[in-house]
Amino acid sequence: MENIQDYIESGILEQYALGELSPAEQAAVEGMAARHPEVREELQQVQLAFGVYAEAHALTPPAGMRERVLHNVMAQIAAPAANSTPNASLRADVDAVAQNPTAPVISTQPVGYGEAVNRTLTPAAEAPARSLWAMAASVALLLSLGANFLLYSRWKDASSDLVALQNEKARFATTTTVLNRQVGDLRQENQVLRNDEFRAVALAGTKTAPTAHARVLFNPATHKVYVDVKSLPALPAGKQYQLWALDKGKPIDAGVLTAATATGEGLQAMKDIASAQTFAMTVEPAGGSVNPTLSTMTVVGNI
Amino acid sequence: MSDTPLISLPPAAEAELVRRLQARDESAMTLFYDRYSAALYGVIFRIVKAEDEAEDVLQEALVKIWHAFASYDPGKGRLFTWVLNICRNLSIDKIRSRQHRVGSRTQGLDDSLTAQRQAAPTAFRPEHIGLQEITQKLVPEQRQIIDLLYFEGFTQSEVAEELNIPLGTVKTRARTAIKVLSKLIR
Repeated sequence: MENIQDYIESGILEQYALGELSPAEQAAVEGMAARHPEVREELQQVQLAFGVYAEAHALTPPAGMRERVLHNVMAQIAAPAANSTPNASLRADVDAVAQNPTAPVISTQPVGYGEAVNRTLTPAAEAPARSLWAMAASVALLLSLGANFLLYSRWKDASSDLVALQNEKARFATTTTVLNRQVGDLRQENQVLRNDEFRAVALAGTKTAPTAHARVLFNPATHKVYVDVKSLPALPAGKQYQLWALDKGKPIDAGVLTAATATGEGLQAMKDIASAQTFAMTVEPAGGSVNPTLSTMTVVGNI
Repeated sequence: MSDTPLISLPPAAEAELVRRLQARDESAMTLFYDRYSAALYGVIFRIVKAEDEAEDVLQEALVKIWHAFASYDPGKGRLFTWVLNICRNLSIDKIRSRQHRVGSRTQGLDDSLTAQRQAAPTAFRPEHIGLQEITQKLVPEQRQIIDLLYFEGFTQSEVAEELNIPLGTVKTRARTAIKVLSKLIR
């Protein structure tokens, strides 16, 4: 492939991540990813992005679902291996003991079988005593199995409690991270608003939108620019507001406003501007334009 | 931006879980459930839009993950990506077989709006802060496209047809949205 960028832009990586491709096409994408680090990196980003989107839509399952689902899953995944696992054969022994606590038990005891054969000619009176012992042994075995089972289930409960607590902890950590980030954003806004170096530039509505009103905070020393929307007309689909700085009449792109900023939710940091006398906002196709569409100028103001 | 993923499992814990599943440790499924069920259930529910069916699909997915685990290759991507794909595919199969029975696909769109309304959070849950942040970062048109692609199982061409916009626009918007999303976890 000559142009990797074209390949990435073609949207095929998104199709791959969304499972739209045939096995042959999938293999081709994997081949590209193996040969080109840029493709691999981009594919990871795409998969990560969908992962973020999925995680953001997480829903706590309804109460009682965990037990039902886990119970059914465990039953299904354990079933085919039933006779090979030690647990299952133990259970089979227990069942056998429970169903018929006398004769068959002796035969399963390591010492029992051979002796029983040798002693076929010994007096019949010994038989009841032996079966008494066997019964006592089976009862002891049952009790021990019962106790083991009890301990095992307690241990299971404790370990699932631990998992639940760890999850709770992780959830709190997530909440804290998000809140910290929000506090950080607010603190930054507050610093901008209190900083004397920032000049507030009022942008008033033009003829196309007389009631529109916004503010630019511009720091000529650090070249930082923030925008603060009071009221802007709602945008048609596929459009975004873009801020422009005019320096000696020449327009310089200062970045596009997010949907949240355009509805007045808070300050947004824009691109750094070295020098400007005027700021203005126009309506541009989503993602912004290289040059302003002057007919859509919504607000404008001089420093 | 932030240096922490939203709800992801740390790499070391993920590697440990993978190791236990590869070793056919059944008890690891409980851990798996506790770590991932909310994220997986959220995706499944938004695709199938019914609680009982979502539960069936999640159960089916867990059994499939267990049996197909040998085909998971950690070198190719995160465990979460792999299991998400399994859940999405099963969910989409489910709605497709249902649509076969009922008929039109536009019905699905209307349903999805009601389902989202029904699923509105009543209590404070951190996962919804994530959702809120994302809603703020994506412009509505981008979000709509990602929802159609991800939760309705539309192909890019089907989205173009549904929204009556050029395929190129769908691709550009999807790519822009993905850039915004992947920046959130950088």
